[in-house]
Amino acid sequence: MMTKQKSWKRKGFILAFLAPTLIAFAVFYLYPILTVLFTSFCKWDYTNITSPEFFGFKDMWNNYNYIFKMYPYFWEALRNSSIWALLGVFVQIPIATLIALALSRKVRGIKFVRNAYIMPNMISTAAMGMIFLQLYSPLYGIVNPIIKLFQPGFKENILLLKGPAFIAMTCAYIFFTGTTTLMILGNIMAIPEDVKEAAMLDGASGLRQDWYITLPMIKETLRMVSILSATSGFLLYNEVYFLTKGAAGTYSISYVIRELAITSSRTQFGRANAVAVIQILAGMIIIVLVNVLYNYLFRGSRKRGAAK
Amino acid sequence: MKKKHTSAVQSMNGVTKAVTYICLAWALFVSLMPVVWLVLSSLKKDPLARPGFQLPESICIDGYISTFTDLHVVRYFANSMIIAGISVAISILMISMSAYVVARMEFKGKGFINMILYSTMFIPATALTYPVYNLVNKLHIYNTRGALIFIYACSGIALSFFVIKNYYANIPHELEEAARIDGCGYAMTWWKVIFPIARPGIMTAAVLAFLNNWNEYYWASLVIVDREKLTVPALLSTFTTSFRTNYNGLFSAMVVIILPPIILYCVFSKFFVEALSGGAVKG
Repeated sequence: MMTKQKSWKRKGFILAFLAPTLIAFAVFYLYPILTVLFTSFCKWDYTNITSPEFFGFKDMWNNYNYIFKMYPYFWEALRNSSIWALLGVFVQIPIATLIALALSRKVRGIKFVRNAYIMPNMISTAAMGMIFLQLYSPLYGIVNPIIKLFQPGFKENILLLKGPAFIAMTCAYIFFTGTTTLMILGNIMAIPEDVKEAAMLDGASGLRQDWYITLPMIKETLRMVSILSATSGFLLYNEVYFLTKGAAGTYSISYVIRELAITSSRTQFGRANAVAVIQILAGMIIIVLVNVLYNYLFRGSRKRGAAK
Repeated sequence: MKKKHTSAVQSMNGVTKAVTYICLAWALFVSLMPVVWLVLSSLKKDPLARPGFQLPESICIDGYISTFTDLHVVRYFANSMIIAGISVAISILMISMSAYVVARMEFKGKGFINMILYSTMFIPATALTYPVYNLVNKLHIYNTRGALIFIYACSGIALSFFVIKNYYANIPHELEEAARIDGCGYAMTWWKVIFPIARPGIMTAAVLAFLNNWNEYYWASLVIVDREKLTVPALLSTFTTSFRTNYNGLFSAMVVIILPPIILYCVFSKFFVEALSGGAVKG
């Protein structure tokens, strides 16, 4: 009797404490995901805002067909977002790791550099986008004067030139890896001292030690931050909005979704949600690909570890 | 300590040293250049006349004055403060309750709950744009600060959940047992014993969440229309039209807007560094 009462109390407590988070999850994640999934197969736009209509099984891929074959910006957006995801893994993470390794050495003034490097990440990406918009201004920015050194008479706004606009936008965010660097640095500092000393005795110091000892030891953190930075590259929105608004071939998937669902005067909810489904799938593909990449990259270190 | 420093530097070979210094110089350049240029430009009466890194002829602070008197920037700071503050309080309270149950008690479906909360980290928020926008409309909170509080309190569950859960996991079990023997119920034990002990971990999660919400732009620009209700990041997108050719005003307002996070960071950098590096790097 006593224990039964106790177990009920226990169950009640567990339920009560879990409930708020689970409700938040249901309201903010579960319900929207299901809506996105189902309505991506519905005719749902500005003409029938309150009542999405299922296309029927024969035409259920209508929205996807439209996105793939008719919508002018989809392939551009998918290409850009994919490039940004790749750059996240192959440019941002190497930069972040190199700087984390540099910050892990005991050099004078290291604290100052570390704190300065994190600072831009404390500022919102909206504000950074705004700052770079000014830096790229042909009237008073600092990029055009540099181009003029090589090409006198250059008066163009680089954000309106196809090609340079994409590079300029990428440069506006890709180098700010402060939080990623700090996560990697935290992992480097957590490597036990005796492992480093053993490596020193084996004659591995500096870059050799980093390559053969440090990197394999922090591979799980690298894997995680690679997934995060590939995902956030794929989701890029703020930079697109502040710098180009999609002009000169810089659409991103997130920008397409928002344009179709909200900003356009002829809103297309069903079609926006079809793009959203593709975005969610792409997120999953990114996780799988990064995992495959890391298993491949570090296959040797695992073998070496097993041999020992 | 000092001796150890010098020996560590000496033990680096030439290439390592060169690479290290190049990386550090690059880090400094990248992080300081935009901000220095921005501050410099904000002090110029006419940035058009002296573009780039040219020093201003004379220091002009008109833009700074008008940022407070005409733009009423304080109002937007208050909005951001209220919205970020309340939403963090709600989400951290709710998550520190659930994380406690998951971290310290055994029950059916625990693995499943762990998994769904973990999955939220990889669900792109932008994919949920229209359903969430629609939901906000249905709840009749569109164009209110409540809409953003709702969105921020529900999003970003995963990060806070795992930071707090990891902290709970390291608290010795004897403490709970002692409290239980003293006659505390489950909720009482959590509130009186565990919550205070886990405060550093909870604070870490709260600081990270606050920073994220303070800087959030996507939803802020989506669910609020009225100018006087905007948060600071959302205000930025009105600048290109509202300042037109008043570049001095534009630059000054931007400096004022990025200043609070920077000051906050300078004061609490120790805390941020430890939080982000998982406690391994001392600030």
